[in-house]
Amino acid sequence: MKPLNEITKGDRLHLRFVVSAVAVVLALVLPLLIGNDFYLDGLILIFMWGTYAAAWNILAGYAGMVSLGHNAFFGIGAYTSTLLLLRFGLTPWAGMLVGGMLASCVGLILGIVCFRLRSHYFALATLAFGEVTYIVAVNWRSLTGGSEGLALPIQPSFYLFSFSSKLPYVYIGLFFLLTVIGISYAIQQSRLGYFLLAFRENEDAARALGVRTGRVRLIAMVLSSFLSAIMGTFYAQYAVFIDPSSVIRIQLSVQVALFAIVGGVGTVMGPVIGAMLFIPITIALRAKMGTALPGLHMIVYGIILVLVLLYMPQGISTKLKEKVPLLTKIWRG
Amino acid sequence: MDHTLIVQLLISGILLGGIYALGSIGLTLIFGVMKVVNFAHGEFFMLGMYLTYWLFHYFQIDPYLSTLILVPAVFLIGLVTYYVFIRPTIGSSVLAQIFITVGLSTIIQNTVLLFWSADFRSISLSYATDAMVFGPFPALGVDEVMVNPSRLIAFSLAICLSAAFYLFLRFSYTGKIIRATSQDRSAALLMGINIDKIYKLTFAMGIVLTGLAGGLILPIYSVHPFVGFDLVLIMFVVVVLGGMGSVVGAVISGLIIGVVEVFSSYWLGQENKQVIYFLVFIAVLVLRPSGLFGLKEEEEVERIEAIE
Repeated sequence: MKPLNEITKGDRLHLRFVVSAVAVVLALVLPLLIGNDFYLDGLILIFMWGTYAAAWNILAGYAGMVSLGHNAFFGIGAYTSTLLLLRFGLTPWAGMLVGGMLASCVGLILGIVCFRLRSHYFALATLAFGEVTYIVAVNWRSLTGGSEGLALPIQPSFYLFSFSSKLPYVYIGLFFLLTVIGISYAIQQSRLGYFLLAFRENEDAARALGVRTGRVRLIAMVLSSFLSAIMGTFYAQYAVFIDPSSVIRIQLSVQVALFAIVGGVGTVMGPVIGAMLFIPITIALRAKMGTALPGLHMIVYGIILVLVLLYMPQGISTKLKEKVPLLTKIWRG
Repeated sequence: MDHTLIVQLLISGILLGGIYALGSIGLTLIFGVMKVVNFAHGEFFMLGMYLTYWLFHYFQIDPYLSTLILVPAVFLIGLVTYYVFIRPTIGSSVLAQIFITVGLSTIIQNTVLLFWSADFRSISLSYATDAMVFGPFPALGVDEVMVNPSRLIAFSLAICLSAAFYLFLRFSYTGKIIRATSQDRSAALLMGINIDKIYKLTFAMGIVLTGLAGGLILPIYSVHPFVGFDLVLIMFVVVVLGGMGSVVGAVISGLIIGVVEVFSSYWLGQENKQVIYFLVFIAVLVLRPSGLFGLKEEEEVERIEAIE
C-alpha cells in the first residue's frame, strides 16, 4: 500500500467509489441479516430523519438560511398525501408528489415573501410560519380532523404504500436517503453549490460578481421543502397515524436542525451522521426509562447540542475528518 | 358592538399588554446591545413564575413581596447563563447563536418537566378575587366595567418597573454606557468601555425583567413547563413590532399586542387568536423588519454584518 501522501487524484476517486459502494452494499444487505423488528425500526427512523435533516441542511447549511419552520413542510407532506388517500383513494405514491409540490409552492411563496430577511429575521419569520401552520391544522377540524388526528388504512398493498413487514420501509427509506445524499453531493459539486456558498458567505459580493442570489436561494428553498414534505408522507405511511402534534409541532424543526448541526452543517454526510448518532440514543433511553422520566431524552439532546456548538461548531463529521487524515485524503478533492 | 364591551376589552388588553411589555424589554435589550436573539427568553419567564409559585406554596410569601427574592435569584441565573452559554458564542455564526439558546431552552423546559411534572399550577390571592367595578359612565355611553384586581396590580407594577428601567437607561451612567454599546460597539470599545462587563450586566438585567414579569403574571395565569414557549412567541411579536433593540417600542407594542390578543380572542375564539398576531408578525417582518420604532433597516443590517 502506498503512503498517504502519494495518493493521486485517480486513486482518490477510485477509493471514494469503493468506499461508497461498500457502504451502499452494507446498507442493502444489513437489513436482511438483522431480521429483528426493533432494530429495523431504528434503521427506518435513521433513514427518515437523515433524509429530513439533509433536506433542512440544503437550506440552512448550503444557503445559510436557518429555518425554524421546517415542521410545516413535513406536516404539509403528511397531511396532503393522507387526505388525498382518505378522501379520494389516491395512492400515497402520487399523493407524496402532490404534497411535495404543494410544499415547494408554499416554500417558494415564503421565500419570495421573506426575500429581504436574513439571519435572525429569517429564523423568526419561519418560526412564526410553522406555528401558524400548526394552529391551522389543529383548528381546521373539518379538513384535518383537528387534534384527534387521522388514522390511515392498514391493508398491506403496494398501491396503498402499506406493508406488513418492516423491510420494504427500510428499503424505501434507504432509497430516499441515498437520493438526498446524491442531491446534496451534486449541489456541492455544481455551480449552484458555489453560488449558494457565495451567497451564504457574502451576499453583496456574490451579487456584485453576477450571482443571481434571489433565484439561488429560492431554488434551495424549493428543493428543501419538497424533500421535507416527501418525508412527511413517508412518516405518515409508516406510523399509520398522524396528528398535528406528531407531524407539525415545532420540536420537529428543532430536532431536525439538531441532527444536522451535531453531524456537521453544510456537509453532505453530516445530517446523516447526526441521525445515526441520535436515533440509537433516543431508542436506548426510551427502552431503558420508558415513560418514567418524561423529557429526559430532550435534556440529553439539548446538552449534546450545546456541547457541540461550544466545542466543535463545525460538527462531528468535520471533526472526524480532522482526526482521521485518511478520510480527508479520500473525500477532499 | 356596544361601547361598554369595547371599553371592557380595551382595558383587559392594555392590562395584559403591560406584562408583555415588561417581559419583552429584556429580549429587545439583549438583542439591541448584544445582537443575540434569546430563544430561551420565555424559559426565564417560566422560571420566574415557578419561583414565585414555590415561595407562595411552601412559605406563603405574597407573590408581589417575593419579587424581592426573585430579583437577586434570577439575576444570578442570568449571570451563570451568560458565562456558560452566551459569552462563548458571541461573534460566532448566526446558526450557533440561534441554536445555543434553542438548546438552552430545551434543557430548561425538560428539566423542569422532569422535576416538577407537567401539572398546571396556579395560586389564588384572598384579597384579589373579587372583580372591581368601575362606572357606569353615562356621558360616554358606557356601563359598568369590571377589572380583575390581580391584573390591575400586575399592570401597574409592570409599567412602573418599565418606566424605572427606561429612566435608568436614559439617565444613569451605566445606562448611558449600555446605550452607547448598543449604538456602536467598536466606538464604545475605543472609549474604554468594558464590553464584556456591559454584556454581562445587560443579559442578567434582561433576564431579571422577564423573570419579574413571570412573577407578576402568576396570580393570573397558571404555570407549566412549556408556558415559556407560548410567551416567547408573543414576546418576539412584540419585539419585532416595536423594533428590535427599542425599549420604548417594546412597551408600546406590548400594549398593542395585548389589545390585539384580547380583541381577536373575543371575535375569533381563544384557539385562533394566535393566528392574528403571527400574521401581524410576518407582515411586520416582511414590510418593515425594523419595526415601528426601530432603526432604518439598512442601518440595522450593516450593524449586524459589522458584528458578524
